[in-house]
Amino acid sequence: MKQDFSLLVIVAVVWAVLALLYATVPMFHMPGYAAVWGLGAVVFLALAAAIAAASRRERKRHEHHGEASHE
Amino acid sequence: MTPHPLLDHLKQLPAADKRLLLAFFGAGLVTLALGVLAGAGTALVRAGLIDPAPYFGYRLMTMHGINIFFYWLYFAQAGLLLAFSATHAAHARHMEWRRLAWLGYAAMVAGFVLSQVGAASGVPLLYDAPPELARFASAAVGSIYLGYLSLALGLFCVAVSAVASVVLPRFAGRTVSLSPIGFASIAWAGLLMVSALAAVNAFLPAALWAFEKGPLPEDYATGWHVLFHNMHYLPLMATVVTWYVLVKALFGIESIFGPRFSKIVFSTYLIFVPPTSLYHMFLEPGLAEPVRVVGSLLSLFISVPTVLVFLIIVASLETHARAHGASGLFGWIRMLPWRNPVMAAVGMAVVNLAAGGALSFVLIQEKLAPLLSDTFFVPGYFHFLTVGTVTLTFLGALCYLIPGLTGRPLWNPRLLAGLPYLATAGLALFGTAGVIAGYLGAPRRVLDLSYAGDAPASWQVLMGVVGTGGMLMAIALILYILALAVTFLKRAPQAAALDFGLPGWNLAGAVPARELAWTGPLSILILVGTMALFTVVAFEMIKAAPLAAIGSGAH
Amino acid sequence: MKEHSSPPPSHFTTRRGFIVAAGFGVVSLYGLWAAYGAAPLRLKAHDEDAAPDHMGGHGGHGRARGPDVDAFRRQTEEFIEANKLPDGSVRPARGNAALLAATEKAHHALHDPEQREKLALPTAAQNAGKRAANAPDVYLAAYQWGFLPAVLRLDAGVPYRFHMMAVDVTHGASLRVGRGGHIIRLRAGTLVERELRFTRPGEYLVYCTIYCGMLHDRMQGKIIVA
Repeated sequence: MKQDFSLLVIVAVVWAVLALLYATVPMFHMPGYAAVWGLGAVVFLALAAAIAAASRRERKRHEHHGEASHE
Repeated sequence: MTPHPLLDHLKQLPAADKRLLLAFFGAGLVTLALGVLAGAGTALVRAGLIDPAPYFGYRLMTMHGINIFFYWLYFAQAGLLLAFSATHAAHARHMEWRRLAWLGYAAMVAGFVLSQVGAASGVPLLYDAPPELARFASAAVGSIYLGYLSLALGLFCVAVSAVASVVLPRFAGRTVSLSPIGFASIAWAGLLMVSALAAVNAFLPAALWAFEKGPLPEDYATGWHVLFHNMHYLPLMATVVTWYVLVKALFGIESIFGPRFSKIVFSTYLIFVPPTSLYHMFLEPGLAEPVRVVGSLLSLFISVPTVLVFLIIVASLETHARAHGASGLFGWIRMLPWRNPVMAAVGMAVVNLAAGGALSFVLIQEKLAPLLSDTFFVPGYFHFLTVGTVTLTFLGALCYLIPGLTGRPLWNPRLLAGLPYLATAGLALFGTAGVIAGYLGAPRRVLDLSYAGDAPASWQVLMGVVGTGGMLMAIALILYILALAVTFLKRAPQAAALDFGLPGWNLAGAVPARELAWTGPLSILILVGTMALFTVVAFEMIKAAPLAAIGSGAH
Repeated sequence: MKEHSSPPPSHFTTRRGFIVAAGFGVVSLYGLWAAYGAAPLRLKAHDEDAAPDHMGGHGGHGRARGPDVDAFRRQTEEFIEANKLPDGSVRPARGNAALLAATEKAHHALHDPEQREKLALPTAAQNAGKRAANAPDVYLAAYQWGFLPAVLRLDAGVPYRFHMMAVDVTHGASLRVGRGGHIIRLRAGTLVERELRFTRPGEYLVYCTIYCGMLHDRMQGKIIVA
């Protein structure tokens, strides 16, 4: 799951950088592109967060089962 | 056919899930049929074989574009994404958030209806529907944009449901890690969500204008190009994910490079989408020259994800096939189960991808845009991809999924195994003639190319060949739709064997040791050589043209 | 004792690095682009005395404000009025452009750099600047559904400064030249300026390459080059 999270974060970063480029560099100034790539970065960050949350839940479940089996 | 967990999982899905998936696939086939009939009509008009009133010809073209590019490709993708996400999260046994997916389906159907109303009334705007062409705001124009917005809402809902199907089993402790297809489903769903947002960016201002709630959008073209670029990548990504699934189903094998490598390759689709988007705008006046140059350079990477997936699949197949006795450079290809309709569809999809891919690389060079960008070269090449690669792959998948969901055997598999070849033959005529016409300057989106006798006679001759190829494609696709509809509707005894008696080749079990895989790299060499050839032709034509264009600017 | 034998090495065609390298193989097309001078990294040294680049794309205007649609219509009508012929076609005045073209032709006839320097002939760059200043102006408006003027009469070898605008919706003012076409996209209300020089006599179809409505395929003009 760590790889899944990392890959989605990398995607979000690439999209965010490009959104910044389109928004700030005069030669590339295209607000529509900036908005879509920026929103896209948010979407992929959200997906990464969902995967991270699922991983945390899985780790807690393992810890809980580990404690229960020692009792 | 090799018994495979996918068929097992499909059979074990709850009836409600099956109904939803079949609803998506059924809607997709209906929209494909409408789009194909409209496309066939357009081809006949362009070939001069029928001569309707001008509005009617462009209306056919509009309905063709809307129904194929927006509705067929996206109903099919929605169904495939939901099917894969529900069956490829380990231990998953059902779809999550099914009601949200049904809401998505309803929104997509509503969008389809609205778009047909818009396409059938008012000024035909073609599928990109620039509001400036409508001249006056009206409900008829507005329904096209509302239709697209409703489709976008529907796809967003479907994508969220698919992500839930992959991620929620993890929350419930039912799965340990994401499979490559599970990860790909999330990436695919993410790109669908972004495309939905891009659709809102493009069409909401236009819809507000059409209903007199806002001004005429100033830069509709840019909003369209952003969406259009995403809509190029989505079907390709969906296609290669489907290949992964089907190769496992047909042969029982997975990538020899491991799941981590596959996930990295799937994520390259998302990494390369934004930077490679500028080539759609090369002809826009006012686009700075450095932007064109940088856009060209970055666009070189556009095919890297698809090529990587192709290499992974081919190398994995070839090494397993050699381990099972295949010999000679291409002997393993002959041993593939070509009489299986799924194999035939995927095999021809790969062939058509090579043709379309090689041609597409001419268009990403900004210096060649003035020669080719708005000519018939464009539909000439992209039908290799939309029909020959994406649609054949999706239909091949349905040859597997519809029997898997209904439990009924595929109707007339011999016919279905032959249809990819018929479609490809039609494409060869359509694409070759179309590309040549484009090189010779023939414009796209024109019904009558004679220009009162001032146009070269070759344009009309080539459009005749385009029309013939188009009819062959249309026949193949209509037969596909009919065969799948009969499979779905015909009451037949439930097939006892999961594989329905279709030929297959079980390659599972053998671990290749020091097997070689030459087919992939040789294919890339041929592909690059072909790209170079088409590019050289274009450059030489520009050099030989009796026109020097110096300095350009826009205000 | 059990020996652990390492797995047999995989063939290089099945190594991940090779797959990645092959996957990026299509990027090698850059080399071809560079060979044609269509990439930032040029393989050939740029020759200042060479003929004007047929690929176009040398610099451009700054982003100054251009005329609006009404002003451009007026300029086009004035251009037509000033240059129209009895048959309705339009032939723009040539000015100094023909003299410069003849001078450049003589310059290219002399391959010896010393000879060129002795005769103090202008370089191609200087000529380009002079051409820009002296090229006859041509105004071309695209509208639903035609071009104004519909027929232009030009001279071969003479550079013309085209001022083009779509005055209602987006059009293409595309030229069928030689075996192929040269596409110019015109957004409504946006002035596009381009210097064009026809190198061979002939009749060249002007046609619209952006769908612009019901009679899109009737939209045509002509450039007759003598």
